[in-house]
Amino acid sequence: MPENSNTGAKDARGRLASRLLRGGTEPDPRFTLANERTFLAWIRTSLALLAGGVAVEAFMAGLLGPELRKTIAVLLLVLALVIGGGSFFRWLNVERAMRSNTPLPLPLIAPVLAIGGALVAAIMVVFVIARPA
Amino acid sequence: MAMVVAAAVFLRWLPHHGWFVGTLVGGAIAAALAINLTQKHRFHRAVRGINRETMPPHIGSTAAVAASVVVLALLGIYTVLFLPLQP
Repeated sequence: MPENSNTGAKDARGRLASRLLRGGTEPDPRFTLANERTFLAWIRTSLALLAGGVAVEAFMAGLLGPELRKTIAVLLLVLALVIGGGSFFRWLNVERAMRSNTPLPLPLIAPVLAIGGALVAAIMVVFVIARPA
Repeated sequence: MAMVVAAAVFLRWLPHHGWFVGTLVGGAIAAALAINLTQKHRFHRAVRGINRETMPPHIGSTAAVAASVVVLALLGIYTVLFLPLQP
């Protein structure tokens, strides 16, 4: 049996999908669905960061100064923006890799999230230590 | 559901930043509604895909979800940086 038995499915793809995901063969649908679930997990992370940014700006008015509050909120919102946008490109690159049967790319948004989260945590630690009792 | 939670959190900004936050709340609710209303269609498409052992990727819906989160984040940054706090 030839490797690509899904030529009919290729026609079922939309114009956008045919343009962005050229060549290769349709992967196992379970892998496509798993890739989508991972994408949705990144989107949830992005939404959590978004809510975190809003919460810092709205709920910490009495605790943090306006500049520090704004800095942390913007940092969290930028992180949400990068993770939200990056998750789509990660999904697309993984889909391409599965179609062409090549190794999966490393998720670049994972170190971005780690560094961004660590930075926000470090700012908060410095604030808690330096804050007068 | 996460979009609805985000919309609920945005509501907290309403007294501080005024009516503009309404666009964020409305955008998040609209995205949540669109996702919820098309869920059944996507589920059946996935079931058919598993049954036929082939499934075209949902590139449009994936891009739409990512774009809505990016737009919400951009509007959030705009709100924090450029909209003055109301007393």
